[in-house]
Order: sequence, then C-alpha cells, then structure tokens
Amino acid sequence: MKAPDISADRLHIRDLAPGLSNLLWLGGLVALVAGLLLATASGTETFLRAYLTGFMFTLSLALGALFFVLLQHATRAGWSVVVRRIAEYFTCGFGILAVLSLPIIIAMVLQPDILGIRAAIHDIFPWTSELIVWGDNTAAHPGDEILQGKSGFLSTPFFVLRMVAYFGIWLWLSHFFLSRSLQQDQSGDPQLSLQMQTRSYPGMILFALSLSFVAIDLLMSLDPHWFSTIFGVYYFGGSALGFFSLLAVTMFWLQSNGRMSQAITVEHYHDVGKLAFAFIVFWAYIAFSQYMLIWYGNLPEETAWLTVRQSPTWAPVSLLLLFGHFVIPFLALISRVPKRGRYGLVAAALWILVMHLCDMIWLVFPHVNHGGDHAIASFGVLDVIQIVLCTLGILGLYLGRVVRASAQGSLLPERDPRLPESLAFHNF
Amino acid sequence: MAVTVGEYDNTFETPGKRAPLVVGDHDFASVTEAVCNVNERPMREMPLIWYVLFGIAVALTGVLFGSIGYLFLTGVGVWGVKNPAGWGFAIINFVFWVGIGHAGTLISAILFLFRQTWRTAINRFAEAMTIFAVICALIFPGIHVGRVWVVYWMLPLPNQMAMWPQFRSPLLWDVFAVNTYFTVSLLFWYVGLIPDLATLRDRASGFRKWAYGLFALGWTGAARHWHRYERAYLILAALSTPLVLSVHSVVSFDFAVSQVPGWHTTIFPPYFVAGAIFSGFAMVLTLAIPTRALFNMKDIITLRHIENMNKIILLTGTLVGYAYAMEFFIAWYGQNPNEKFIFIARAFGPYAWAYWTMISCNVIFPQLFWFKAIRTNIAITFVISLLVNVGMWFERYVIVITSLSQDFLPSSWDYYWPTTLDWLTFIGSFGLFFTLFLLFIRFLPMIAIAEIKGVMPQARAGHDQADGGH
Amino acid sequence: MATIPAEATEPAGTREGILRGMLVEFDTPGQLIAAANRVREAGYKRFDAHSPFPIHGIDEAVGIRMTILPWIVMAGGMFGLLNGLFLQWYTNAVDAESLSLIPTFLQGYNYLVSGKPYFSLPANIPVIFELTILLSAIAAVIGMLVLNNLPLFYNPVFNVARFRKVTDDKFFLVVDARDSKFDARATDELLSGLGGTAVEPILEYPSPSALPRPFLTLGVIVTLVALIPPALIWKAWVSKSSKPRIHIIQDMDNQAKFKDQRASVLFADGRSMRPPVPGTVARGDLQHDDHFFRGIVGEAWSTTFPLHKLPVDDALLDRGQQRFGVYCAPCHGLTGDGQGLVNQRAIELGGAWVPPANLHEAQYRERALGHLFNTISNGIRSMPQYGDAIPPADRWAIVAYVRALQRSQFATIDDVPAAERAQMPSAARPAEATEE
Repeated sequence: MKAPDISADRLHIRDLAPGLSNLLWLGGLVALVAGLLLATASGTETFLRAYLTGFMFTLSLALGALFFVLLQHATRAGWSVVVRRIAEYFTCGFGILAVLSLPIIIAMVLQPDILGIRAAIHDIFPWTSELIVWGDNTAAHPGDEILQGKSGFLSTPFFVLRMVAYFGIWLWLSHFFLSRSLQQDQSGDPQLSLQMQTRSYPGMILFALSLSFVAIDLLMSLDPHWFSTIFGVYYFGGSALGFFSLLAVTMFWLQSNGRMSQAITVEHYHDVGKLAFAFIVFWAYIAFSQYMLIWYGNLPEETAWLTVRQSPTWAPVSLLLLFGHFVIPFLALISRVPKRGRYGLVAAALWILVMHLCDMIWLVFPHVNHGGDHAIASFGVLDVIQIVLCTLGILGLYLGRVVRASAQGSLLPERDPRLPESLAFHNF
Repeated sequence: MAVTVGEYDNTFETPGKRAPLVVGDHDFASVTEAVCNVNERPMREMPLIWYVLFGIAVALTGVLFGSIGYLFLTGVGVWGVKNPAGWGFAIINFVFWVGIGHAGTLISAILFLFRQTWRTAINRFAEAMTIFAVICALIFPGIHVGRVWVVYWMLPLPNQMAMWPQFRSPLLWDVFAVNTYFTVSLLFWYVGLIPDLATLRDRASGFRKWAYGLFALGWTGAARHWHRYERAYLILAALSTPLVLSVHSVVSFDFAVSQVPGWHTTIFPPYFVAGAIFSGFAMVLTLAIPTRALFNMKDIITLRHIENMNKIILLTGTLVGYAYAMEFFIAWYGQNPNEKFIFIARAFGPYAWAYWTMISCNVIFPQLFWFKAIRTNIAITFVISLLVNVGMWFERYVIVITSLSQDFLPSSWDYYWPTTLDWLTFIGSFGLFFTLFLLFIRFLPMIAIAEIKGVMPQARAGHDQADGGH
Repeated sequence: MATIPAEATEPAGTREGILRGMLVEFDTPGQLIAAANRVREAGYKRFDAHSPFPIHGIDEAVGIRMTILPWIVMAGGMFGLLNGLFLQWYTNAVDAESLSLIPTFLQGYNYLVSGKPYFSLPANIPVIFELTILLSAIAAVIGMLVLNNLPLFYNPVFNVARFRKVTDDKFFLVVDARDSKFDARATDELLSGLGGTAVEPILEYPSPSALPRPFLTLGVIVTLVALIPPALIWKAWVSKSSKPRIHIIQDMDNQAKFKDQRASVLFADGRSMRPPVPGTVARGDLQHDDHFFRGIVGEAWSTTFPLHKLPVDDALLDRGQQRFGVYCAPCHGLTGDGQGLVNQRAIELGGAWVPPANLHEAQYRERALGHLFNTISNGIRSMPQYGDAIPPADRWAIVAYVRALQRSQFATIDDVPAAERAQMPSAARPAEATEE
C-alpha cells in the first residue's frame, strides 16, 4: 500500500493564514470591549452572566479536547492518531482561560461596590453574600440556614483555592501530553507512547474530578439551594460533544485549505461522526435521567430549578434543547451517509456547537430575582447580543492562543508508532 | 494442533505493533478443533470436575425450585420482608443478577462498536452468561408479586375487566426493559451462534447433525449472507448499546423515582450501569479463569484478555467509587437532614458492616489492579473477581435495606433479618445459573469460532501463502 | 479438469444427478477474493463466495451492493415507537367516554396516579424506548434471515462432501447453473484456471415426492393428542354438574379471621366482636361536655347554642340545610311542614301511621334548643334516633337550620332591611299576613 503524502501537514497553520492568531486576539478583544460598552445598557448582571456563559462554553471545548487526548492514550487507539495533534493544540488554551476566569473570581472575592458589581455578583452567586447567608437579625434578612450549612464548601477562599487547583491540573495535563507528543516528533521513541499511556489513567481520574467540581462550582452553585448528583456528568457530556463537533469543523477547515488532505480520510470523519453521535445520545440520556427523576420525585427543593426553566420565558429554550440538542442531530447523524459525507457532518457539527451554547445559556441565565420581586428574570434581545459578544470574545482569545500554540510543531504526530495504522484505517 | 504449555505473555505491546490475540501456533482448522473438541468428545471424557460441579448445580437448582414451591404454597410471609423493609432479598437478588447480565451484551455490543477485537474470545460465553443471569433475575420479581398465578396482569392484555397496567410505574418499565433485554440478548446470542452451529453440523453425523443443522438454518457462509449478517450484527450491537444502558437505568428508576432518602438521587442511572458492568465483568472472569484452564483454552483466552478485563474492572470500580463519593458529597451539600442522616447511618449505623464490605470489595480491592503484576496474576485476579461479586451484592443490600429499615417514621424502624428460605432461594439461583452454564459449555461452542478466525493474522485478505499445512 | 467424482454420487451412485452449479475450493481468503474478481469480470452474476468467516473486501469482488436491511430495521423501530406511545396513551390517558362503541375488553380509560398528568410523557419514555429497541432488533434478525432466504435446510451444495470444510478452514466459490453465462464446459474451464485445490460439480438427486411413513404416523399421533384438550374443554362447556367448581386458586376467598356479628367459640360470651373493657374510654370517645353532646345546661334543656364549641354563622346554617335535606326532609319535608315524601307515600298506602311533626307548630317553635337536639339524637315516637349517624356538630347545625326555617314562616316586615323594604310589592309584604 502506498503511504499517504503528509509532507504538507508539516507546515504550520501560521503559514496557512499568517497573522491568524493576532486577528483572533484582536477580534476577541473588540468583542469583549463591545460587550463591556453594551453593559451600560444591559446592566452589569447581564454582562457577568453572559461572560460566564461564554467562559463555560469555551472551557467545555478545551476540556473536551483534553478528554479526547487522555482517552486516545488510555485505549492505545490507533485510528485517531492523525487527528490527535489537533486535539492536543486545543488543550493549549487553559492558560488564557485561567486569565479569563479572573474577572469572575475578582468580582467574587473583592465584591467591589462600583458599577453595581457587588449587587450583580450577589444575585448571580447568592452564596457570596454575607447578608443572604448569615443575615443581620432583621426580618428582611433572616439569613439562610441551608447556605450556612454549605458555607464550608461554598466560601470564596475555598472557591479560589479550588479554581487554582483545577487550572493547575489542566495546565499540567495539557502541557505533559503535548510536550511528550512533540518530543516524539523528534525522537520517534515508542517509550514515549507507553509513558503517555501510563500517565493517562491517573490523568483521567484528575480530569473527572476537576470537571465535575468546576461544573458544581461555576454552574450548579448559581442556584445554591439546588443539587443534582449527576450534574458533573451532564457538563461532561456536553463538553465531549462540543469538542467532537469542533474537531469535525477543524478537520474540514484544514482540509479545505489544503492541509492533511491525504492524512485525513473519510474514515476519520466517519469515526468522529460516530463519536459525536454517541455523545448526542449520551447527553440526552443524562439530561433525561436528571429531568425525569426530578420531575417524578416532585420535591420542591429540586423542582424549583426546573420550574424556572419551564416558565413561559424559558420553556421555548428547554424545547429548543430537546429538539435542537437531541432529536434533530440524532436524526441527522443516525445514517452513515452524512457521517461519511463531510458537508453533512460539518453542518451538523456547527449546529451542535450553537446548541451547546444554548445549553450553557440555559444553565446560566434562568433565575429568580433574589434581591427584587422574586419574579423570574426576563430574557431579551439585549441579553442575546451580550452573550454573542462575550462568547465570541472569549472564544476568539482562546482560539488565538490555540493557533499560536500550533506553531510549535506539525499538524500530526509524525513519528507516532501508530501513525501508519491510523493512515491506513478503514471502517467496515 | 499446537498448544502452548503454560502462560504465554502477550500483555506487553510495543506501540505500533499490535500484540497477537491468539497465541500458540494456530491455524483455522486447529482453532475449530480446539473449540469443538469440548462439544464433540464423548461424555465420559468430560473432566471429573465438570460432573462434580454439574451435580452440585443440579442439586442447588432443586433447592431453588423447592423453595419457590414452598413460597407459592405458603405465601410471601416466609421471607424476611416485613414493615418497614418491604423489599428484601428478592429485589437485591434481582438487581444483582440483572447487573451480572450486563457484561455479556456490553462485550458483544459496546466493545464491538469500539472495535475491541479481543472481545471475540470471550463474547460467546459472556453472552450465554447474560442470558442465564437474566433468567435468574426474572425469577425474583416474578415470585415476589404475591399472587403469581395472575402475574400476566403486568402485561397489557385485553381482558373483560378492562384492566390495564399502570404505565407511570417504574416497576412496569422493568417488565418491559428486562423482557426486551432478554429477547434482544437471546437474538444477539443466537445470531452469533448460527455460523458456529453450522460448523458443528458439518463436523457431526446422525442425530447431532440433524439437531445442530436445525438451528444452523442451512448456513453456507455465502458472501451475500455474510454481508447482511454483518450488517445485522452491527445493527444489533448499535441497538444493544443503548439498551444495555437503559435496562439498568430503568432498574435504578425503581429506586430513584421515589422520595426515600438514599434512593432519590439523579446519578443513580449511570451509577447503576457502571456497577452492573463492573459486576458482570467480575462474573465473566470468575467463569473464564477456570474454564480456560479446564478445557485448555489458554491460547484463545489469553493473558491479554484477562488483563483487559481487569482494566475494565478497575475503570468501572473507580466509576462506582466516584458515584459513592458524589452521593456522599451531595447528601451533605444538599443539606437535607434525612439525606444526611441516611448516609451517615450507612457508614456508621447498624448496617455499617455491610457498607464497609461493599466499599472494600468494590472500591479498595479493585484498585490493586493498578499494578500490572496483579493484573496479570491469574490467582489474584480470580480472588478479586470473587470479591467484586460479593461487593456488588452487598451494594444492592446496602441500598435496599439501609434506606428502608430507617425510613421517615422512626417508631417503625427495625433491623432486617433474612430467613433461611431467603438464603436457600438465593443460593439456589446460583444452582440454576451454573446448571445452565455447564450445559452450555458442553453442548454449544463456548468461543465464537468464526469471529476468532476473523481476527487471526491469516484472515487478512492479502495473506496468500497457504498456512494450513501444520 | 473436474470429472464427476464417485464420492459425490450419493447414496447409490446409480441415479443420475442434475447439475445445479459448480464450485472451486481454495485455501486462503486472498485466493478467494482474486477468484471472485475473475469470475465477476468474466460476466457471471449468480455466483457466491463461501467462507468460514466474513472476509474484508469480498463485497466488491463478488459485486454485492449495500443491503436494504437498515431501512427494514428503521421501519420496525418506528412501529415500536408509535406502538409504545399509542399503547400508553390509550390504556392510561384516553377519555373513556369517547370509546363507548368499542367492546369493554378493549376499552382504555384515564386514571390518576400520584397526581401525575394522565398522559405523562416523561414517564412513558422508558417503555417507548424499550419497544422501539425490541421491534428494531426483531426486524433486524427476521429481515436478515428473510433477505438471506434462510432457513433453507435443503441446499444442493450440501451434496458435495468437501463443502463441509466451508465452516472450518476452506474457501469456496460457487457458480449457480441458473446463471445465463453458465455452461458446464466453459465454466469448468474458467474455474479450473483459478488455481484452486479442487473443482467439482454440484449435483442434485431427485427424491420421491411421497411423505415418508414415520412423518405421517407422527403427524397423525400429534394431531390426535392435540385434540384432547379442546375436547375436554368442550365437554366441560356443554355438560352440567351439581358439584361446585374445583377451586384451584384460593386467592383470598377463604381467610382465617372473625367477621362482624358472627358467633365465635373463642370468647365466653360467644361474640366475635369485643366490647370495650369496662371503665375505659377510647380516644376521642369521652363525651364530657353536657351542653355540646346532650344539649343540657345545669339540669334543664339548654336554650343557647354551645358557642364555645362552634360559632353560629352562615357556614353552620349551610351545613344544617344540607344535612337537613339528607336526614330530615324525607319525612318532615323540605320546609319542615311534615309533608315529606315518606309521609305522602304512607298516607297513600293507608294503615297505622304516626305522621311526622309539622315543625312550625307553636310547641316546636317554643321548644328549647337542647330539647330539639335531644330529639334528633335519641328520636321520639316513630322517629328513630340519629345520634349514631349524625355527629354532634352536624346535629347542632340542623337545630340552627330548623330555627331558621321556623323563622322564615313567621317573618315580619321588620326582618327585611330598611333599604330593601321599598322594593317589595305591597301584596307580598309578609307584614300583612298574620298568624292564624
């Protein structure tokens, strides 16, 4: 069998589109600044929520990439070697994501009483407010016994400590796997593959714990009374699905620009499509499990969270997720034809990415005004624009970093011992 | 025919060069011979231990049916179930057996979709094990209903009373889920058996040829048939994968849709599925290790297969540990006093002995599999597989009993004591399981012959030299 | 070159076989693929490659197109899905009123369970899912067998002895004689040139068309045995018997327990119901408030309502009206004039009859409240006691309502609020009616 020509893949993305990373950075900054300016109209709280939405969306893609890399090493996968490097580059964004998490952390820790930040952060994360948690012995602020019970976990110093730990874990894992993989490009040493395989198992455990708890910290604690044991798995399902979609889009983009045109075949698209399909079903399974059990148990302490999401304001979004995040992509990808036809897969992948963002909005935005009239907060065009700006901003900065990182080496692990298997891979 | 003496270690793999899945110097004919030998040898050449085990198993099956007969004649009061623990051994055993029944379809379906070709050596008897475990599982809710003679009321059959099942009940979902699972597993198993039954047919004569031929359906191995057969097998795998997840999820709904503390928690569905796979693989190992030694299958069920299964046990054991930890954390985080109470009571209350048995068997001991030396040690593997079986039974015991015996009404709290008949029924179910399994080993090919041939190096199309000359 | 070998002419070797096709044997899958390519290129259509396991790349070589099986499975799955949805809606959520034309045993109806909606989609999804999977899987297996034309127990290719190795380690290419290009000589030449280890014709030997005797005997026996159960059922259906039916399943028809008002040998007094232990009062049975429970204040009938227990308000009067309608009106009439339906019917029938009192008579109007209460509680003349049937609070409600009735019959203009007096037509003014 003739070996596919992969010489073009040694070129960097930088050669492909010079200045791409700067462009992305500039675009990201402009979007964020525009979002900040819009905050004068939309309010600080909307901006912070939109920022959190964009942040969790981008973070989920990076985490999905990290999961993919760990999984491929842990299972000694052969088929995926050609696309593994792309995933490794996508894990390079944790540094900039750590920086981008600072606005949220600073707002929480300092709670500055300017521009309404203090009130906004208390409404977003009620457990950060001394007054809500401990009260001041008046009828208006009696304190909250449940939150007092949770204060051992939901406290800002511990929160900051955990955030440091999460980013520490992710930075270390992503650095380890990318650097060893790049090292192998030079040396071709099979021992490196074994080393990465061995490290991937404890890496998986650290990954599972950090992902679950970051979801609890930044998403579940938005409604600090509510709890669901499956919540971390729910965020994981969306993350993995988001990344597989992103991977399909990236493969398509690279190929349509003449990169990896021989290395990546329709078989790899097929497999990425299968993984995306599997995680569409997995996400629906987890979402259904969570919804059905809460619906059936019908306990006020749990249903409050869903009641908001079934109110007239949010019911359309809930239905959008049911159909857009599950039914439509499920039907679109069930046959092998669209998975093997690149255009079909990429169209589905883009759709899924938008739906994944909707899922994040659905997790972050619906809430009851704690400070005010205890009505369900409204959601309008201004909020949507704010979310789009913040998401584009954070995503742009993240992708700029990824593109910059990809200058370090080739687009595929050139001397991975399993590369020939991957290049010759065929589905049956 | 060539057979390696002792263990051939194929667990080390140089990256880029896949280790062989069939060791020894086998060709197609010797594989056929090695597998069919067990089915074709005269009865007197079956090992003595087979007869001993079969005798014990049949005796225990007698105990099972005797206990059930006594139960039918007397009533459910002969069991230890009473207020407040109205669910006892029957449900524990049901969930235990259904859980074991998950490995077969997992190996057949999920590993198939993941292209884990090592599954070919173990899928056949894991599937058989699944079917027998599901049979054992189906017995328990069936005999727990009280008036067994109207058990058909669970099905939506038209009747003059115009009485229909209550479809909002998770117990009815169980009826549909477990029966669907049984049917689909049976179909999957049978479809996989067709080419191998044809092999036995073509090697046999007389009545055996007729019997195997009847079930082989006239299979000739035509490419057109293989094409549709493979497509059907792939579709069955794709259907079984969500099915296997759904079945134990539905079983978990029996508990989780209620409001009983310790039961109503959203992680139950995936947590039960992980636990089921965990226990199922342990049972596969418990069966595979003696079988491969007894019938000289070490070339086909190699050390690599054992090690891979140990890795899955380690993975699922850790997942189960994650679920235990997450439950504990959320019980505290939720600040629901009942929930907090029940979790503390599990760990330090009257059933602490069961809880810590579960934790050590399910979470601690499998962690030993981090060490390759232990993963590839057959004896230790066997012991740990037994411990996992014990631990997973106790997991169901802890879930069912602790939450029920200390419910919302403290005045009704009571310690749960199973009766002798509970134990006899439970032990008897193992008799039924092993009877069926030992019969299966004797009369049906325990390795998927056609699939094994497909993963041998000679099966690659470009391999043109005639290798059959050994 | 193949000749018709002796071993193929089973069983006698004397009968002439019909040529059904021709096969060639190979040792490796690679040879089989190459051969299949050659045969296909030679223009053959009705040929197939047989192997012990599926071979990659054989589909192209034989010229197999993608099967339609997935569509069959999809149809099965859709049927299961809709079936699951319909079944649960029909049996648990349909409005029974709309099904009156359907026979009872097929009627569904809606019934409420733990406050869930009749049609609870989240709770219906598991069953819908399971039925979808079940019917998809059955469709996949049956579809595969039907498309493969299986089961097919008789196949001429089984007449070739060496073909038995197809399920072991040999690979065969079989050309069907029905192929338009098939020609015994030319095909033989083509196959022989493929480098196989053997080429052989596939022969079929006609067999007698009569049913074998053992089959016939067995069939007759099975049919006769199968007729026995329906015959027994038919006999039971048409015959009569004075004996009770056999009670196989006792269910809970016979229970070892005492029933109310039955004799018992266990207790000395022979009763199965037990009186309370002397000197004890059951919880809630202590009736120690004379005013409320008996209408007595001091030594005399009370003239006031027990206001410490219940307020006299609209709600009490409404309750009284409602209870009066239930317990009193049948005899005393809705207005309390003693002309209830029971009274009318009794007079119609004739005979001894003590008519119920007209509550508007002066003696009753002046009677103390406690006395009225006592009459309701304990009865009088032919009026039975209602103390057991009506709780004390309700009896007081009836007393209050009776008082209201009495007043309604003797109201004066002073009872009408001054503001509304002007609106009354003068003829209807009750002030002009005087008591007779």
